Parts: sequence; C-alpha cells; structure tokens
Amino acid sequence: MNRIQTKLAEDKKLLSIYFTAGYPNIDDTATIIENLEKNGVDMIEIGLPFSDPLADGPTIQASSTAALKNGMTTEVLFEQLKDIRKTVNIPLIIMGYFNPMFQYGVEAFCKKCQEIGIDGLIIPDLPVDVYHEEYQAIFEKYGLINVFLITPQTSDERIHYIDSISNGFIYMVSSASTTGAQSGFGTVQTEYFERIGKMNLKNPQVIGFGISNNETFTQATQYAKGAIIGSAFVKHVTNNGVNSIDTFVNSILN
Amino acid sequence: MKLKICGMKYQDNIKHVATLQPDYLGFIFYEKSARNFDSESIPDIDEAIKKTGVFVDATLEFVIDKINKHNLQAVQLHGNESPEYCSTLKSEKVEIIKVFSVKDEFNFERLKPYEAVCDFFLFDTKGKHPGGNGYTFDWNLLSDYPSTKPFFLSGGIGLEEIEDIKQFTNSKASKYCYALDVNSKFEIEPGLKNIEALKAFKKNLSEVLDYKKEHVMNYNVNEKGYYGEFGGAFIPEMLYPNVEELRQNYLKVMAEPDFIKEFDQLLKDYVGRPSPLYFAKRLSEKYNTKIYLKREDLNHTGAHKINNTIGQILMAKRLGKHRIIAETGAGQHGVATATVCALMGLECIVYMGEIDIARQAPNVARMKMLGAKVVPALSGSRTLKDATNEAIRDWINNPVDTHYIIGSAIGPHPYPDMVTRFQSVISEEIKWQLKEQTGNENPDYLVACIGGGSNAAGTYYHYLHEPEVGIIAVEAAGLGVDSGESAATSVLGKEGIIHGCKTLLMQTKDGQITEPYSISAGLDYPGVGPMHAHLAKTGRAEFMAITDDDAMNAGLELCKLEGIIPAIESSHALAIFEQRKFKPNDVVVVSLSGRGDKDLNNYIEYFKI
Ligand SMILES: Cc1ncc(COP(=O)(O)O)c(C=O)c1O
Repeated sequence: MNRIQTKLAEDKKLLSIYFTAGYPNIDDTATIIENLEKNGVDMIEIGLPFSDPLADGPTIQASSTAALKNGMTTEVLFEQLKDIRKTVNIPLIIMGYFNPMFQYGVEAFCKKCQEIGIDGLIIPDLPVDVYHEEYQAIFEKYGLINVFLITPQTSDERIHYIDSISNGFIYMVSSASTTGAQSGFGTVQTEYFERIGKMNLKNPQVIGFGISNNETFTQATQYAKGAIIGSAFVKHVTNNGVNSIDTFVNSILN
Repeated sequence: MKLKICGMKYQDNIKHVATLQPDYLGFIFYEKSARNFDSESIPDIDEAIKKTGVFVDATLEFVIDKINKHNLQAVQLHGNESPEYCSTLKSEKVEIIKVFSVKDEFNFERLKPYEAVCDFFLFDTKGKHPGGNGYTFDWNLLSDYPSTKPFFLSGGIGLEEIEDIKQFTNSKASKYCYALDVNSKFEIEPGLKNIEALKAFKKNLSEVLDYKKEHVMNYNVNEKGYYGEFGGAFIPEMLYPNVEELRQNYLKVMAEPDFIKEFDQLLKDYVGRPSPLYFAKRLSEKYNTKIYLKREDLNHTGAHKINNTIGQILMAKRLGKHRIIAETGAGQHGVATATVCALMGLECIVYMGEIDIARQAPNVARMKMLGAKVVPALSGSRTLKDATNEAIRDWINNPVDTHYIIGSAIGPHPYPDMVTRFQSVISEEIKWQLKEQTGNENPDYLVACIGGGSNAAGTYYHYLHEPEVGIIAVEAAGLGVDSGESAATSVLGKEGIIHGCKTLLMQTKDGQITEPYSISAGLDYPGVGPMHAHLAKTGRAEFMAITDDDAMNAGLELCKLEGIIPAIESSHALAIFEQRKFKPNDVVVVSLSGRGDKDLNNYIEYFKI
C-alpha cells in the first residue's frame, strides 16, 4: 500500500502542510520536512515552484518567485530529497504545475519520484481527462497517486468521474478562489462540504484553501478526513524562519 | 486520403474489418436501414479507428445516448439536421460529418450555414434511401466546390471505381477530398462486409490511401481543441466550469442568426468595416512586387483587436455575464475591451503589468475614460504574461458572473478557435476585395505579425487550406534572435504549457516561462497561439523574425511612401520586404494590424524626432 493510503486508513483527522521548496532559503527543504513530521503533521505537500502559478494567491506566488530566485529547480529539489526517506516516514506529495514536469519528461519525473520515495502528485493544471488518457498508466507504473481538485462549482457527474479515477484522496477546494484568499467558512461552504460528504465517494476528501488556524482546521475536519494548510504556513516561515515550526503546528492542533 | 467503411453490423465481421485498419468505421443507427446496428455493444477495436455513428433525423437525446454508450468519435448526419443541431452535438467532443446528397447538380450555397459547425462534409449519391444506394454521382460536379472544408466522397464506390478514383485524385475536384467512404459494394449481404474485396480495394489504392501523401491537412481545431499536437485546455479544476460552459456554447451561439446579425451590424456601423484593402503603389514600386495592405488600422480604436472584443462581448451577454475582465500588454486590447463594455454598459476590469502601466500611459488614460478599472499586475515580471495570470486568477475567484475576454488566439480551448473565428472577418473580406481588384481571390502570399497570433489567424483563416497561397508569419526578433532579448517564439520556443494551452513557448530548460523582449509591446508574449505552432511545425507557414531596428525603419518608410503611420507591431510585417524577395507579379497581402498613434513616443525616441 502506498503511504498515502496507509495514512488515510488511520483513525484520525489529518493535517497536511504545503510549503514552497527553496523558500525562504534554498536549503530549507529537508529541515522543513523533518520539523513538520517531528511536530505531528500527517502529510506534506512539497511545492515545486513555477514562474506562473495560476491557481495561487499572492503569498504562494511570492514564495515561488523567491524560491526560483534562490536557484530552486526540479534537479535541485530531487537532489535535496534524495535521502529524505532515511529520516522521514509520513507521506510526501509533490505539488507543482505541469510545465516543469513536462520539460523534465513525465516518465522520468515519475521514475525519480519513485526512487526518492514520493507518494503522490498534485498538478492543478493537468486536467483529469488528459491525465486519464495520456499519463495514468505512467503514474501507476511508478506507484504514484495523483490527487485531483474539486470545487463548489464542480458538477456531481464530474465529481463521480474524478472519484472513479482517484485512488488516494480528493482535494476539496473550499471555495471558488486561488490559494490564501479567504478566512473562515460560512454556510455556503459548510453546505458544500455536507453535500460532498453525502455523495458516498470511494475516496476520502481533504479540504484545502482558506485553512489557516485551529478554528478553520477544526471546522474543516468536521466534514472531511483532513485539511491542508498552505499560505498560512508560508507566511509563518516568511516571518519566523524554519525554527519555530513547532509553534505553528501546535497552534493548529491544540 | 482516409478510408471509411460504413454499415457495420456483425460482431465478428467488425473485428475482422478492423484488422484492415480503416480510419473510420461506420455504424448506422436507423431502424429503417437494413444495416441498422442493434447489438448491445461494439467490440473492442483499435483506438486509432474512429467509431462513427450514422443517424437520420434522430433526436439529440438519441444521438448523445449512442455517443456515450458506444464511445463514438464521430457522427454522420444524413437527414435534414440543422446547423444548430450540429453545433449542439459538437459540444459532445465528436467530429461532425454532415451529409449532402448530390444528383445531377448541387447547390453549394446549401453548405454555407454548416461551415462553422461541422468538421467535414460528405457527398453521397441522391437515391431512394439515405445512403447505401449503390451507384455514384458525377464527381466532376465537385470541381465547383466553393469551400475549403475537407469532405468525404461517398456513394456507390466499389472495386470497379478504382481507376475513376485514381483519375479523380489527380483532378481539381478532389482538392479537398479527405476520405473515401465505402459500403454496399463490399458486401456479401447488407451489413456483412467482404474482407477479401476490401483488402483488394486497399491494395489497389495504396498510393491514394497512403497517409504520408495526405493532401488535405486539417489546420483547423479538432473536436478536442487541438491543432495537430498543440492546443487543449490545461486548466485548474477551478476554471473548468467556466471554460466548459464556453466550449459547449460558443459555436451554437455563433451560429444563431440574431447573433450573426448583431455582430455584422456592429462591425459595419461601429467598427467601420469592411476595412479597405489598399494597393500600396509606391511601396510596391520600391520592392518590385504587388503589395496590398489590409487596413485594420482604420478600425475604431485603431487595430484589429476590436473584431474580437465585439464578438466576445456579444457572447458574454448571451451567456448572461455582466462582469468583464481582460488582460492587456500595450493597452490595445484593454482599450478595445473597455470600449465594448462602455458600448454594452458592462463592468470592465483590465489587468495590466505594473511596468506596462508606466510605459503606456495614454492607453491607461483611455481605458479609464471609457469607464474601465485598470488593475496593476504586481507579480512575476509585471508585464503581459503576468497580467494574463492575474486575469485568470480573477476568473477563478469569480466563476459565475464573469466573462474573460482574452485578447489573442491563445489560452485554453475554445479561446484560440473562438478568437480566430471572430478575427476571420479579415480574410473573408480579403477574398472578395482581392477578387474585385485583381480578378483572383487568392493572393500569392499573406503576411502578418504574430504576438499571440490573432490578427495573423484572422488573415490566414479562409486561406489555410489553399495550398497555393503562401503564408508568412512575422515574429519579433527584438535585439536579434540570439541576443537573449527576443520574442521569436517559433525559433526560441519549445513545446510546453502556457496559460492553459500546449504550444511553443519560451522557457528555461526547467520549464520556467521566460520574459520575452520586443520594442513592440504587442509582440512581447513568450508563447504563440496553438494554430501558429501547428503551422510552424507542419511547415504550412514560413516564419520570419524581424529586429526592432528593421521594424522601426520599415514603419518610418511606410509613413514616407504611403502616408500611413503603422503600429510598431505591423511594422514588423512590413519589414520583410527588405529581407525576402518576391516576384514582380506576386500579389502579397500584408495585414496592417494597427495604427501608430499609440507608438508615437517610441517613434519619437527612436528617431529623435
Ligand atoms: C496593432 C497590433 N498588432 C498586432 C498585435 C499582436 O497581437 P496578435 O498577434 O494577437 O494579432 C497587437 C497586440 O497588441 C497590436 O496592438
């Protein structure tokens, strides 16, 4: 079983954290991952920075631009991660836009992920039908789980389709927005969470976008298996560096 | 040429015929036909073979049900199906083949309303039954074929016709013949195909059917939004509903008579179309060839951009949107969008790179005067590419009430095709204007500058499938193609994904998108529309790169020789005459995409005027 599936089978609500690789400093990648695990985070999304992150708000855009300036590339990231499985056991997912993977070569990229011990990928601009037709076989060959997004606007029919192609979890985007856009959930969101909850999907859902603190984490995990924090964590390391990760994680979990 | 074998019925026979590797296999869903396909399912066959459903005035529900149930890739419509009917089916991502029955004569005018909503026409013999009558019509009638839409030749083709087919493929009438469609002449009984006879047919026609000798290449977008290998819709799920809504509706809306009427009327009364096709006498003398300028610079707001914004604002209204967003580089598209929003009384937000806002103050003022809100893009390199990112992010955040008017033939499908269709009025006019002036509607060459490629796509559109018309695409070389400061995407770009579209783009070897450079803000885009990537890859268009210096000089030359101050973008197209020789009798049509008012400061600085 893939580490993601094992983790999803645990009887607890999951906290997943996104960070941008190469930010604030180029060599922070392993430190951040190790600290997150040590402090009880369940799953990590390693952001491979892209020059044109369409689905991201200002915080992650800025961290991506800075990471690229720091010299982050696909090669560098793989190099930094090559021994990560000696110290880290929780699921690791690479989140990035499709073009850098496409240039690396999708198969070569997947192969490298398997060698390192990456468990899954989130590629917001790789649509589910293109994945299904052109790349699913490659991902599966290298044991990678591809995670798809759904939004409040996604039709039931499409959600069922996405569910049928997924074999890990479904990334439930909390509202129609880019990352980091909003705070707190109103009735519109909770009704959407409930609606999806009632669909009896085979894949559990993990909520992302707009989760920034204990309150929103608790609220989101009432409706889903877990929640993902991105911009709030990136902001935290912008302000505090990588040494106070424990403070951040504790503030979410307690 | 491709081969379609139609009227398949029996499971084993289907599998058997599939081993012959036809390009299409036809299944008739029509109860009155002896070949009606009534099995539960079609056996698994090679995915390269397009399963085609053949229908006669069936309900849309019936057709859509069959498409989904049998995973059909094409539908062939034999009855009196309307253009609206065709465009509704087009949103099911299938190829649409519309059948027309021909007897001793055929009124080709009938094809017109179907041009925009079908992928292929099919000409069949008129007979007692819809199809399968077993005799041919006079193929010479097709020498009057007025369209460039690829067609299937059908009706009574059998082994005895092999010599006729060979003759036909050497004649003018076959110029747009895309496929041969066979059926009843290869049967043991209705629906049961004779494998040996089919084998003999393929063997005898191997020359004609050899796909390497394909003489009709399709340069238009296919049912999945691709031009060859370029295009598609690589968008985050958050954008899927918006883009999908547009994809399902754009052809349908564009085919509505009241849409066509309003669009045409506005182009005429508001934009000032047709734009003149002007024979540039002194310029022609200088370069010893015949140069015609398509005067898009005379349009309201000073460029071709408004053809697209008029079309898209009408589209937005019909889709019930009341908030309009756009990106702009130099401000031309921003002004054209602000203009149509003022015209329609709709809210308008234009994203523009912070750096461009500083460089293009007059256009920023124009947009504001027209009532638009100009929002600076502060991310990345703060130019056009980032303005486009910001507009896309806005759309993600406003998925319900907002329409995004993209300014060039770029972005996720259906944008490149939709923008191209709105701009295609340019080549539509060139055709009749040139005929009026020279007696021949085909020039020897068409020339246009390429930023994202909208004026070029519009200039080429109705000529793409006229092999004798040469196509020249002019990119901005900036300080020189190898200088590191350039926007010559077809030379410097590699296949990749930008703004939702697979195309050629300038990027680092890690796939990070790089900043292009050109003195002309309108050509300063790191990608190129997918149609142009396809034209480059297939060699259909000749690409040239023009430096800042050469463009500026060509611009000034047009002022002196013809009394026309061109936009610097258009000056790039004009500069090719210094670099490429044409014959004295060549007719060369250049798209003069815009006027130079917006560039006065650049001209002043450059020439120290
Ligand atoms: C006058 C003019 N020509 C050409 C272009 C390039 O755009 P496209 O390649 O879409 O025609 C622009 C863009 O701003 C323009 O203003």
